[in-house]
Amino acid sequence: MAEVRIQKLKKSFGPVEVLKDIDLVVEDGSFVVLVGPSGCGKSTLLRSIAGLEPVSSGTMTIGGRQVNDLPPAKREIAMVFQSYALYPHMNVAANMGFGLRFAGTPRAEIDARVNEAARILQLEPLLKRKPRELSGGQRQRVAIGRAIVRKPQVFLFDEPLSNLDAALRINTRVEIAKLHKLLKATIVYVTHDQVEAMTLADKIVVMNSGRIEQQGKPLDLYYKPANLFVAGFIGSPAMNFLSGTVGDGCLDLGAAGKLALPSRSSVRSGDRLTLGVRPEHLRLGGSGGLVLNATVDLIERLGETGFAHLRLATGHVVIAEVRGEPSFRTGDNAIISLDPEQVHLFGADGNRLA
Amino acid sequence: MRKPASAIAVHTILGLYTLLALFPIVLVIMNSFKAKRAIFNTPLQPPMPWNFDPIGYTKVFGDGAVGLYYMNSIIVTVGTIVLTLLFGAMAAWALTEYKFRWNTVLALYLSIGIMVPIRLGSVSIIQIVADLNLINTLTALVLVYTAQNLPLAIFILSEFIAQIPKDLREAGRCDGLTEYHIFFYIVLPLLRPAMATVAVFTMIPVWNDLWFPLLLAPTGGKQTITLGVQQFLGQYITDWNAVLAALSTAIVPVLVLYVIFSRQLIRGLTSGAVK
Amino acid sequence: MSRGTYLRLLAVFLAPALIIYSTFSIYPLISTIINSLYLRLPDGSFLFNGLGNFATLLFDETWSGPFWNALRNNFYFFVIHMVVQNPIGLVLAALLSLPRLKLRATYRTLIFMPTMLSVVVIGFSWQLILSPLWGIAKMFLQFIGLGFLFGPWLGEESTALLTISLISVWQFVGIPMILIYTALLAIPEELIDAATVDGLNQFQAFVWVKLPLIWPTIGLVSVLTFVNNFNAFDLIYAMKGALAGPNFSADIMGTLFYRTFFGNQLQLGDPSMGSTIATMMFVVILIGVMLYLFLIQRRMQRYSF
Repeated sequence: MAEVRIQKLKKSFGPVEVLKDIDLVVEDGSFVVLVGPSGCGKSTLLRSIAGLEPVSSGTMTIGGRQVNDLPPAKREIAMVFQSYALYPHMNVAANMGFGLRFAGTPRAEIDARVNEAARILQLEPLLKRKPRELSGGQRQRVAIGRAIVRKPQVFLFDEPLSNLDAALRINTRVEIAKLHKLLKATIVYVTHDQVEAMTLADKIVVMNSGRIEQQGKPLDLYYKPANLFVAGFIGSPAMNFLSGTVGDGCLDLGAAGKLALPSRSSVRSGDRLTLGVRPEHLRLGGSGGLVLNATVDLIERLGETGFAHLRLATGHVVIAEVRGEPSFRTGDNAIISLDPEQVHLFGADGNRLA
Repeated sequence: MRKPASAIAVHTILGLYTLLALFPIVLVIMNSFKAKRAIFNTPLQPPMPWNFDPIGYTKVFGDGAVGLYYMNSIIVTVGTIVLTLLFGAMAAWALTEYKFRWNTVLALYLSIGIMVPIRLGSVSIIQIVADLNLINTLTALVLVYTAQNLPLAIFILSEFIAQIPKDLREAGRCDGLTEYHIFFYIVLPLLRPAMATVAVFTMIPVWNDLWFPLLLAPTGGKQTITLGVQQFLGQYITDWNAVLAALSTAIVPVLVLYVIFSRQLIRGLTSGAVK
Repeated sequence: MSRGTYLRLLAVFLAPALIIYSTFSIYPLISTIINSLYLRLPDGSFLFNGLGNFATLLFDETWSGPFWNALRNNFYFFVIHMVVQNPIGLVLAALLSLPRLKLRATYRTLIFMPTMLSVVVIGFSWQLILSPLWGIAKMFLQFIGLGFLFGPWLGEESTALLTISLISVWQFVGIPMILIYTALLAIPEELIDAATVDGLNQFQAFVWVKLPLIWPTIGLVSVLTFVNNFNAFDLIYAMKGALAGPNFSADIMGTLFYRTFFGNQLQLGDPSMGSTIATMMFVVILIGVMLYLFLIQRRMQRYSF
């Protein structure tokens, strides 16, 4: 069982707490993505799982074994680094088999495993080349090959796609997803790109300032974000936020207008709320209680779909997704209507209201 | 994941070696302030009121030559640095900016100076200096040291100039500046960190050199402090107080300067040698 | 700009540096080599002698003895540096480059201090410390139980050169240390992390990952040591004078050159033979550098990260 279980993990660098009370379970065979902005602690958490960083308190088990005091080599993990970290002075085959040499694995076994990994990753013609003779994508695969050869319980990926160009990134993303299914491996993957997170993960863990903001299935986070941070982080373009005060069952947005609130018992008059709605859940035109007046600031066309930037009376700009040929132009007045099923309410503390 | 045991071992080794490096220096300075008897009987004791005796220093500073020698060293060192930086920057600029056919040839020509020690030509250098009537002058030393340091300075500065964005130079030209203006008002100021590095890198060998002062300016009040100390030591060889004081006088200013500039110095050495 | 202006600019910017360099660096070198082809006659005039001077230097009794002695001593000097200075520099650099080392800058600054000082100071300070009169060295050896080893090392033929070599090592260990340290710093931390995950301890990571990547620097350090050692003069002159005693046991090419050219109480100055010795030094250094460039440099690869 290659399950990773982390309980109440804390880590401090001197007086600064970089990881605060992390509780996380990575089920056997699942693909868990740690995502968040720079400095949120995701890489630190990954390195702590690897054993490259010590922890201040809390427990961590891999495959049922407690690993807090074990060095990386004994944790049965393998890591793929952001800049691949290939040994420049060794060829591809040697790079992949390096760790096994030091573990005392017999030569024949090393060769067998290296060849197997090379086959899976289509690296066979490259085995005798040195890293500097390889392209970025090829080096990536060698780094992954090195991890596969170790036959670890858990694979750790540290932003492996950041150094690739856009097209290669998409291809490699697909390759990694396929690899996961093929090897039935337990993977913990770090990225700052929420698109990668959404497409690859069985479970997403959104982190911010050393804390887990929310963890769960990608679509759960998409449809039911637990707080403002997660709501604004997941989904591209980001969710639109409108803040106002509750009065007479409506959300008063000041000069921008009023929005009828769906009947929810937990709101009271005078409460300050933030309403969130995704660009894809806004429509132009329509009527009813959930409409706003706006002028068209800018239209970005991407082909069949596009994004309209709409300025409210308060000056606040809201983005709506539009399809087909829009019947309006910059400067026109427009009515925006919100899909009542897809509206999120967040309280003054930033958390989701029921 | 560092076990405390290995950290102790590391610090022990480094600590011991540091002691080894510092010990002779500290010993000399300490004892230069003690009376003769105390030097011999209790060499390890720091200077205390009961064994304090600066008599050595009175001899060292007594004939007033020490101040003169320091001045000479400063003039030579500063002069060398100024010429090396100025002419070096100019040459580096010409080589980098104005590409022409003989570029590589010149680069090779200059690299001879880096690999081959200039001292080997001393026989002729003495002859040239004598012909120019520059024996026993500081000018001779400045010229020789400049020649010695120019190649490396040119290479280091070339690297830095190559990194100055081309746009800056082009913009200057578009604005109607002459090439001289561009060089002195745009390029030179941008080169300041590199020049600081080269300066520090050049300073120490020039200050400490014994060979050329010995050959070219051995008498007539034109000695550098290094040569001066050497001669003084030869003269007062049995007078321990004087000797220790002389050594300390030579040590302390250099150390003080070093501690202030240590970071630049180390950066200078590394960028220089990699070339 | 016009071709004329272009050339003029070029000349103005290049001229000062080239003039000084050529006059005081290149021309003297060539002149010395040419001088070595001439023999100075008792009446002061010069006669072309081809390679005769070299033959005299290498084979004639009066000259070849001191020459081969100096050359041999120089090699000995060099070997001591390669065997003692550079490994110590390597170890210190390796220790200084360890991650999370406290007091790193302090150690680095302090260990480098002797390199800052002039050889005159160093030479004389050590002379005092090693002097039997003062007894400091003796005291220390007795303290660690090796008192019987002590002797007037600087004054004895068999140990003088070794002692001076070690003092030179003591002074200059900072340079290989800093160069190797900088090279080690250029190795990305991630590479060492990968090695750690692969199961290597710090020592193994150093030997199998860091060391292969800094071979070019070690090569550079070696060639620098070679050039500096064969050019050496200052320390020996400062400690032993031009005669490099006792009984020429500390004589190296530099002191031989100085003595030959300027003369001393034993012989008159001889510019021809002086030039010859200088040219020999040049040839030896050139051979060493060529060997390095063609045999070693070519096989070494610089890795960029």
